[in-house]
Amino acid sequence: MNNQTVNSSAPTGIVLNIQRYCSHDGPGIRTTVFLKGCSLRCKWCSNPESIHPKPEVSYDPKLCVGKKECGLCLKPPFPEGAFYVVEGDDDRVRANWDLAADCDEACASLCPTKAIDMFGKRMTVNEVLDEVEKDASFYRSTHGGMTVSGGECLLQPDFTAALLEEAHRRGFNTAIETACNVPWRFVEKVLPHVDTMLHDHKLTIPERHKKWTGVDNKRILENFKKAYETFPNIDFIARTPLIPGVNADEEHIRAVLAFIRPHKNVIDYELLPYHRFGLGKYDYLGRVYELADYQSPSAELVKHLQAIIDEAFGRNGQKAA
Amino acid sequence: MTTEIGHASFLRRIAINVGAGFVPGMNAVIMGAALAAGKLGWEIVGIRDGFDGLLRPERYPDSGLVTLNPELIENLDPAGSGVLGQAVRVDPFHVRQVNKDDLVEEVDLSDLLLQRLKAERIDALISVVGGRGLSIFYKLHRKGLNTVCIPRSIENDIAATMVSFGFNSALSFTIEMLDRARQAAQSAHKIGVVEVQGENAGWLALQAGITVGADAVLIPEIPCDLRKVTERLKEKVTTRRPYGLVVVAEGTRFVGNGTAPKPASSLKDSLSPLATGDTSEHVIQQSGHAAETVAHKLQLGIATEAYPLVLGPWVRGGAPTAVDRQLGLGYGAGAVRALRAGKNGVMVAFVPPNMEFVPLSEAINKLRTVPADSEFMQIAQSLGICLGREL
Repeated sequence: MNNQTVNSSAPTGIVLNIQRYCSHDGPGIRTTVFLKGCSLRCKWCSNPESIHPKPEVSYDPKLCVGKKECGLCLKPPFPEGAFYVVEGDDDRVRANWDLAADCDEACASLCPTKAIDMFGKRMTVNEVLDEVEKDASFYRSTHGGMTVSGGECLLQPDFTAALLEEAHRRGFNTAIETACNVPWRFVEKVLPHVDTMLHDHKLTIPERHKKWTGVDNKRILENFKKAYETFPNIDFIARTPLIPGVNADEEHIRAVLAFIRPHKNVIDYELLPYHRFGLGKYDYLGRVYELADYQSPSAELVKHLQAIIDEAFGRNGQKAA
Repeated sequence: MTTEIGHASFLRRIAINVGAGFVPGMNAVIMGAALAAGKLGWEIVGIRDGFDGLLRPERYPDSGLVTLNPELIENLDPAGSGVLGQAVRVDPFHVRQVNKDDLVEEVDLSDLLLQRLKAERIDALISVVGGRGLSIFYKLHRKGLNTVCIPRSIENDIAATMVSFGFNSALSFTIEMLDRARQAAQSAHKIGVVEVQGENAGWLALQAGITVGADAVLIPEIPCDLRKVTERLKEKVTTRRPYGLVVVAEGTRFVGNGTAPKPASSLKDSLSPLATGDTSEHVIQQSGHAAETVAHKLQLGIATEAYPLVLGPWVRGGAPTAVDRQLGLGYGAGAVRALRAGKNGVMVAFVPPNMEFVPLSEAINKLRTVPADSEFMQIAQSLGICLGREL
């Protein structure tokens, strides 16, 4: 660990989570740093806790011991009415999210069981890299490294650039996961420090992109194209979160292939089949999950679409799911 | 916190809006408020699509406000859908928008809302909201909004009122559908398991289940032991009566090993940093999960085939019943009476035989659930309906 080059004026960022031993976020074994804040609102988002740019309160009722044993959150300094129990024998504490959202870190820290907690905290570059450094030996043996993800990591361009620069200085491979819905000036600040960029092609038709993510894809596609052309040494990996009824169709896959194949530094196109993992986090945050009744794509569909990609990349089905 | 507005006798201009989600009887509430306000000589306008008519006036070339004049009200179909439209979200504290950098963000427009109300010379707002809306209006009231809320709930789970409007229409429709489900089960010699609305409160399942003579009614208030339900159905489903009907509220909790396993998935896990897998108890359940769970367990324990049916959001549409039309008119007129009496920061509550005014601070954070000793519980037991465990 070497902190010598980072001074006190180094940027800090809001970090959601640092996840070790990741094997899908770039080459080799990696540590993925999830930053908070996103500029899209994908209805299928499996990381709702990453959307808001600031730390926010969460409540996991299964960790709560109830009013009789604790009840600390039912009185000041917690905001009035933020947490409550219903009349009768039911001892379970419930959150009123319209009032609980005003809880700050000082409040949340009073919960002895961590049922009430915060998603996200401010960290320095060195604090993050010191955590990342713990698996340095894995990175060397697998050509792995650090991936910065989100939310949208490019929404914190100074912090992300500083993280990646420091990772390079420590000898780690770097990658980012991004949807690129940011001004180009953010992109060009970060990409000089990136070895691999995983980027999402969510939907093809602008109106449908807007319907499912909140904005159309005009700027996103412009950024992708500019990035491919401006940074020829970066390995770009395109990806699509595959959601039946939204974008899990041949037409979208072929449209993405038509967009990426002219660029030789786009080395792969991955499909991420939609799943419902961890959607209880919507409950932790008091939010409504709009795709509760959507299903994962069938293995046959994924295999069929993967075969189209393999053919386009001349792989003869070697990577079929 | 309840405050007196203090100038109730003046000629005034008031507004009415509705929260997210449709409940039968909305037009009746608007009619009630408009007729009562007109009687006092007050002007009343409706805000289109929640708050959008005020906060996003550019979307409404012919104004985001609807003047609820006598001609419009007299021609309003009381059985029709809401004349003011609907918004998906009605929360001025978290309004989603795309900023100048084309980034999606949520912003607090509550101050702007209060300014816009003032600019439109609206000195009080009647709002038709569900349980969550009450909290939002409590916050707005604390910021200075003069408001009277009207409760609406399909589940009838708002504690301060005996009956929210919308519930009776949902109950009537549910009974009709359960009758059909029973006939279908009867003709097919199967057990129909019907999931009805009720995430927190089992009023709809219990009252409808009693009415149609269901074999079992499972509600959120009583953790359900599916072994007990299976035993009871074994007794009831015989060669002479080769069918059954189970009503299950969507929020029913199961105890023991009665829950059906979810299919395993090998999908990419690093999309979700805190994911624990799709078998986690905190995965949001798809609609129909409760019915599927019960049908699956019953079929494993009984020779008769069981099949799940889901009523779900069907109950949120359609025309209001006579009860809901009366209630709607009563709530609308009651809200105007509250304003006339100088009440502010209150919810109109139907406490038979009266309409009363309950401070919002006392209306929020309470659920009207089915008490263990309620009359409906006793009726169900007297009729031999299984409630999911021994009581």
